[in-house]
Amino acid sequence: MEKDARPNWDSPMQFVLACVSYAVGLGNVWRFPYLCQMHGGGGFLIPYFIMLLVEGVPLFYMELAIGQKMRLGSIGAWTAISPYLGGVGLASVVTSLYLCLYYNIINAWSFWYLFHSFQSVLPWAVCPINANRTAPIEECERASPTQYFFYRETLNISSTIEENGGIHTGQALCFLLTWVITYLCVVRGVQSTGKVVYFTATFPYVVLFIYLIRGFTLHGAVNGVKYMFTPKMNQLANPTTWINAATQIFFSLGLGFGSLIAFSSYNQYNNNFERQAITVSLINSGTSIFASIVTFAIYGFKATINYENCLERTRILLLNTFNLAEDTINMDNVFEWIEKLNATYAEQFNEIANDTGNCDLEKELATAVEGPGLAFIVYSEAITNMPLSQLWSVLYFVMLLLLGVGSMLGNITAIITPLQDFKAASLFLAGLVCLFCLLLGLGFTTTSGNYWFTIFNDYGATFSLLFIVLIEVITVSYIYGIKRFEKDIEDMLGHRPNWYWKIMWVAISPLLLIVLFVFYIVNYIMGGTPTYQAWDKEEGKSVLTEYPVFGQVFIALLLVSSVSCVPLTALYVFCRKRKHGKAHKQQHALNAVSA
Amino acid sequence: MLDKILFLLCLASALADERCMPAGRDLMLLMLQYVWNENEMFLFRASLAFAMRNHMNGQQFEVSNIIVCNETMRVSFWFIVTSPLDTSQLIDQENVEAAIRQSRNRINSAFLLTDKTLEFVDILPTLATLYTHPTPPWLIVFGVVMGAVSAGIIIMLVSSVVQKKRKPQDEDDDEETRVKTVENGDAHDGIHNMSFSEDERFTKM
Repeated sequence: MEKDARPNWDSPMQFVLACVSYAVGLGNVWRFPYLCQMHGGGGFLIPYFIMLLVEGVPLFYMELAIGQKMRLGSIGAWTAISPYLGGVGLASVVTSLYLCLYYNIINAWSFWYLFHSFQSVLPWAVCPINANRTAPIEECERASPTQYFFYRETLNISSTIEENGGIHTGQALCFLLTWVITYLCVVRGVQSTGKVVYFTATFPYVVLFIYLIRGFTLHGAVNGVKYMFTPKMNQLANPTTWINAATQIFFSLGLGFGSLIAFSSYNQYNNNFERQAITVSLINSGTSIFASIVTFAIYGFKATINYENCLERTRILLLNTFNLAEDTINMDNVFEWIEKLNATYAEQFNEIANDTGNCDLEKELATAVEGPGLAFIVYSEAITNMPLSQLWSVLYFVMLLLLGVGSMLGNITAIITPLQDFKAASLFLAGLVCLFCLLLGLGFTTTSGNYWFTIFNDYGATFSLLFIVLIEVITVSYIYGIKRFEKDIEDMLGHRPNWYWKIMWVAISPLLLIVLFVFYIVNYIMGGTPTYQAWDKEEGKSVLTEYPVFGQVFIALLLVSSVSCVPLTALYVFCRKRKHGKAHKQQHALNAVSA
Repeated sequence: MLDKILFLLCLASALADERCMPAGRDLMLLMLQYVWNENEMFLFRASLAFAMRNHMNGQQFEVSNIIVCNETMRVSFWFIVTSPLDTSQLIDQENVEAAIRQSRNRINSAFLLTDKTLEFVDILPTLATLYTHPTPPWLIVFGVVMGAVSAGIIIMLVSSVVQKKRKPQDEDDDEETRVKTVENGDAHDGIHNMSFSEDERFTKM
């Protein structure tokens, strides 16, 4: 009996659900709708699907094949493929570590919002009153209740990255909770992960479906969906559209972290991963589109509400300024009355001219947001306007949690699996990794923590992943050899991969990755000093600020530390081989002499 | 005699009009979103008199002491308050403001309106603070979830330790049975012919 038999998934379904749960994450909800809106609505789907076929599925397939063949985590797998390129695996682990450090803070925010949903009035719906009880708090007045709740009560954010305060206790507690849950899900390896993914992969769809029904029955939702799907084909001529489509496919599938290799290493040797690769990639893209329909229904609702509130405010202002009877102006003829009053009482109208006439539905719809701002500010604002908002709030944040935890599981597994392969593993390896990430991650719960989070989010895993996957593809196609790879696949699946896959691996995908890589570098250099959005308490809005020197140094460190694993490991292996080679030669000489 | 009264009246009304000019400091503007008629105006004046009585103890304000002027089509107007002891003397703004602030709730309730719909210009409403719970509710939910998850982890760890303790006993049994089968198997050891074995080379998804 094999004592150290590699644990396996209970069924291929568990593996598929694990991949779906990992790939379908927060990016599908808060990045794809933004890109869709920026790059011409329905027209964006064309470059998106082309990139999926050309880049997404082949690379996904490749990673699954490597993991299933080598039956080792990323470090072991890449060392087995080519001893000099074991650094690729190490770079994957380092990048996964960076991601694990900062990603769970998003789950902590989701928990914070979830726990605060159990109140009769949602705390981000109204501004709290100041000490004099005369008016709402100023910062809240200038911004909005949802922004105030996020920046002040959730983050207690400082004004720049240089200022630091203490740890936000509530945040730290929620952060601790997320790590405890993550540990619970990985404590028994694939045994526990395999059961959890049944829930984390499927329940978000239930919530999305419920929100789809709710979204479409909201007042004004159709405006948003119409706005999104009207294709603006001229955007297709813009190269940024294609670059963004490629980047989105790339990051959305979670390539390069080593999670896919780790997951597939627990497969049966003959598992049909080809079909699974196609299925998971299609599910991931389908979910992005599904989520963006829901998002745009909500956008449409929010924009319509804001527009109507603006009209109402204008109407009251006109009524008060010109002392008209209550029912002379209603919502439909506000604009007519504006013109009429401007013509007849020009002077008086000029005094209030700044506050009137700027209600624009198009403008409200065009405000596109991405990232945590979309999830925690825009969406929560929309939720406060729905009847029974506590229920919708709970549903929504549970969905965010499941999406986030599902992705976290993949990344934690990507760290634990290679370390377990080294037999340096103890029973408590998973616990140690979680504890380590928890302690370091507490830095993100400080007052300037959100700015550090932004650094990690923007630079921690973007450039390194492009580099890693580029090296991966080149290694498999040229260094390991496409013929050997073909044979391995035939060994596992029973048939050789199609000519389509081979062309993608050998030519198209590497080319595309090189283009993305170069574009990224050029963008970074041309962009000048990296900047971030700092929250200005006085103004009540975000201000574009440059990173200080230590911030820029840290960014450089992040980028270099993961990328440099590859050449450093190669060098190390080279030196070691030379030393061994010399030792061997000496031994040979001795033998020859003695013989 | 009649002439005198008329004159006085005229004078009085002229005085009233003069004092009720928007330029004066003792006036306040009021706007409503409301169906308005004479009776409502009477109710308003009565409630203001009530507020003044509450604030300045002892002085018996009457409805006649509240003078309204400059009504517009929009439900808004100016008003001034005269002292009940001497109708030519106006109550100053600070006192009237304080009186209204004190009884604001009662005035609002008389009209079934709120601070947002019944506005006294330049009088900031004293807003009610939201109810602050002794224990923040989020902490309670957090405690429940944290407790459940911790219990889950402890159960997992304990069960895996218990399983490990049971394993050595099971392994000993397995070893014995395997030894037996191997002994039997040796007798039939031969060359395994591959041609008749069925190879399921790949598992279906």
